[in-house]
Amino acid sequence: MEGKKFVTPANRSSRLPSASARSSAMKRDSLTAELERGEWRPEQATAKRQQRSQAFTSTIAQSSFERQLATAKAAKIDLEKRLREKDAIIEGLERDRRWLHERAEEEKQAKEQEMAEHEEAKTKYDKELRALRDSYRDLQEEHVDLKEQHEQLSRSTSSTIASQKTRISTLERQVETLESELQEFKRLADERSREVQEAQERMEDLSIANESFSRENLEEENWAVVREELHRQANYMRTLEATNAKLNQEVHALRERYTSVEVLREEKRGMEAKLRALEPLREKVVRLEAEVEAARKEREDWATKNASSSPSQTPVSVTQSLSALRMEHARLLEEHGATVALLHQREKELADSESSRKDQRETIDKLQSEVRVLKDIVNRKEQKVTLAEREVGFLQALLASYTAEDAAQEGAKPDEIQTQRIQHLEALLADYKSRIAELEKEITEGGGRLQNGPSRKELADALRAVQEEKLQAQKALEEAESANAQLEEKHEHVEQALFELRGEVGGGRHVPPGTRVLALRDNPAQQWADTRQAVLDRLKAENEALLARLKELEERGVVSGGEGEEKRESFVPRESWEAVSREKEELLAEVRKKEKLYIRLKEVYTKKTAEFREALSSILGIKLAFYPNGSVRVTSQYDLNASFVFQPTSAENGQATMQLVAQGADVPVDIEGMLQFWVLERNCIPGFLASVTLECYDRWERGGGNAAGAQ
Amino acid sequence: MPTKQAPTRQAITLKGSTNLVTEFFKYAVNTILFQRGVYPSDDFHMVKKYGQTVLITQDLALENYLDKILKQVNKWLLTGSVTQLVLAIISKDTRITLERWVFDVNLVEQEQDTAEPRQPKPESEIQAEIRYILKQIVSTVTFLPIMDEPTVFNILAYTSESADIPADEWVDTDPLAIEASKSQQVKLRSFSTDVHRIEAMVAYRYEG
Repeated sequence: MEGKKFVTPANRSSRLPSASARSSAMKRDSLTAELERGEWRPEQATAKRQQRSQAFTSTIAQSSFERQLATAKAAKIDLEKRLREKDAIIEGLERDRRWLHERAEEEKQAKEQEMAEHEEAKTKYDKELRALRDSYRDLQEEHVDLKEQHEQLSRSTSSTIASQKTRISTLERQVETLESELQEFKRLADERSREVQEAQERMEDLSIANESFSRENLEEENWAVVREELHRQANYMRTLEATNAKLNQEVHALRERYTSVEVLREEKRGMEAKLRALEPLREKVVRLEAEVEAARKEREDWATKNASSSPSQTPVSVTQSLSALRMEHARLLEEHGATVALLHQREKELADSESSRKDQRETIDKLQSEVRVLKDIVNRKEQKVTLAEREVGFLQALLASYTAEDAAQEGAKPDEIQTQRIQHLEALLADYKSRIAELEKEITEGGGRLQNGPSRKELADALRAVQEEKLQAQKALEEAESANAQLEEKHEHVEQALFELRGEVGGGRHVPPGTRVLALRDNPAQQWADTRQAVLDRLKAENEALLARLKELEERGVVSGGEGEEKRESFVPRESWEAVSREKEELLAEVRKKEKLYIRLKEVYTKKTAEFREALSSILGIKLAFYPNGSVRVTSQYDLNASFVFQPTSAENGQATMQLVAQGADVPVDIEGMLQFWVLERNCIPGFLASVTLECYDRWERGGGNAAGAQ
Repeated sequence: MPTKQAPTRQAITLKGSTNLVTEFFKYAVNTILFQRGVYPSDDFHMVKKYGQTVLITQDLALENYLDKILKQVNKWLLTGSVTQLVLAIISKDTRITLERWVFDVNLVEQEQDTAEPRQPKPESEIQAEIRYILKQIVSTVTFLPIMDEPTVFNILAYTSESADIPADEWVDTDPLAIEASKSQQVKLRSFSTDVHRIEAMVAYRYEG
């Protein structure tokens, strides 16, 4: 406000608002002050004012810049603080993340452990299940076995019960019969004892009577012996009775105990043994009875004979007669033996005679046949003899006639012829005889053998026929055998073929027509294949997920860390890296190979192209140049200016034709005419080229020296 | 009356024979799978059958598979439309067929015009024949090539065109043939009932 007096109206308006702005912050510098102190000049004032305003604006700008700087610094500090906070938060989050990751790991481990435990438990249960099933099967089998045993036992017990019942019944029957027998025996014994008593009584009576009759010592002694014997018998009878009673008791006991089969059997056996013991007793009883009877008879005899003779004589006579009889008997026996022996001898003789008779008959038969043969022979001999006699008679007659003739002719001729003839005839005769004898012999030999059968010839024929038949049969047999062998061989071949064909079918290489081959949709092989496929798919999916995860991690690594390059490398799994590098190596090798091939082909191609061009130029007189777009430049060998470019166009009929699209810069005029004629009118490029070649050649020859240059 | 009796007897025989043949297949397949090591030997347990011990699988899945097949085969046998059953053993890795166990099913000719019915074959005799086949299968281990790679199997049925086929379960398939130049075959024993005659054979791949 101090500078108020220097304020001009001109700059007051401009300075007033700035002064208020300057009031607090700005101090006047020395220059300004000097100016104010010095004389105020209007020409300087404007410049100074300008300068001042400039300075003022610059200070204002500076202060504003400073302010901005300060605010920017504050903002920077604020941002840094925020960044730090953010970092702290990120760290905290990272920690949390790590912590969570650890938790997850722990959980996973726990889960795996649980899974393992579960697996173990499962296997254990499986095993248990199997064992239980085993035991169940075993128990079932046992149950079946036991059932069978039970049935067997019940069957056997029922059968034993039945058998024992039948045995009991038979034993009961036996017991009954034994009882009845016993009672019979008892009755018999009673009767016997009664009889014995009667006999005793009678004996006593008789003894009394006897005593009254005679008192002779011998008799008495006899009686005493008899009595003693009788006493003994009575005693014996008593013991018998006692044993009978005992047996009775035993029978009672048996009846009581007959429920027990075994005991009963034993008892029965005992009883049988006892009965067997009783048997001789019974015999004895019978004998005694007989003796008693005999004694009684004797006594009666004695009683009857007592009056006339002494009783002692009778036995002697009897024994005498008996011995006599015995003697007689022995003698008769001897005689009988002798007669039997004789009979045997006779029989033998008879047999001998029979056999001898047979032999004799045979010999008789033989002899008879011989006799027959001999008779035949004799007959023949007789015939022969009669024949010979007749011959002799005839010869004698002949001789007589000769002699008679001789006598008639008075025998002038010598007998030589006759004797010769006779001798001749006699020799003839002898020959005949010997011949006849031979024939007869033959007949006898043959006839002896073939007395009553077919003739020799027939037999021989039959034999021949049979032999032929045999030969034929043998031949047929051989044929059949060979055929059989052939058939067998064939059969073997066929069998082998059949076996091989079966193998074809069995190996599954041939399916018979009209047959379908079926398998259950859900078979183990299919299941295996399915599981394999499933595992493969699962692995693929896993791999893809892992790759995705890798990519994710890679990206995050780039974002979070500055050292992304190293990190990225470490994310690639070693296996895939190796696989990739291996693949790369292979591909590189392939490329090298292909390149080599390519180079070689190129070489060959260029060589062939050169040859082709050479051939074209030397045969047709044109040079060819091929462009990559397919067009061809044709230049005549004789005129390098005459060059034309053709381009292939696909015609409608499928045949590619060339089209003239350009021509050299300075083509001779007459060639243009040819072009007009050949290409446009005739549309014949080869003709055009040929005429161009001719034209150019003409010109080249005319030109002479140019041609060398052109070539 | 005998003319009336004969068919009933025959019908029973057909069914019985079919059951017998089906059962035989079951035991034969189990024996082959055990002997050729297609399944681990722990999976099998012993049972008494045909008067000898036979090994039977305990693997539930395999049991179900076999049951399913045998049920269908039983039906086909009754209608006479199956001509061959083949058990093929295949390599797991290369899918090459290593062995083919072939069972030919033939119908026995019935003589209709004979006056008196034929004497039926006693069951004991049939069982003895089956026993011989099973024993022969066991003994084939001595000459068949050793299989040292993991294998898997499949069962093929050769049926006539006219056979009744459940389309959703059975599908036409490749016959799993063995290469002709490397194929060998061995004929095994056979057995027959009054109705069926089963001839067994094994064809195997042999690279001599």
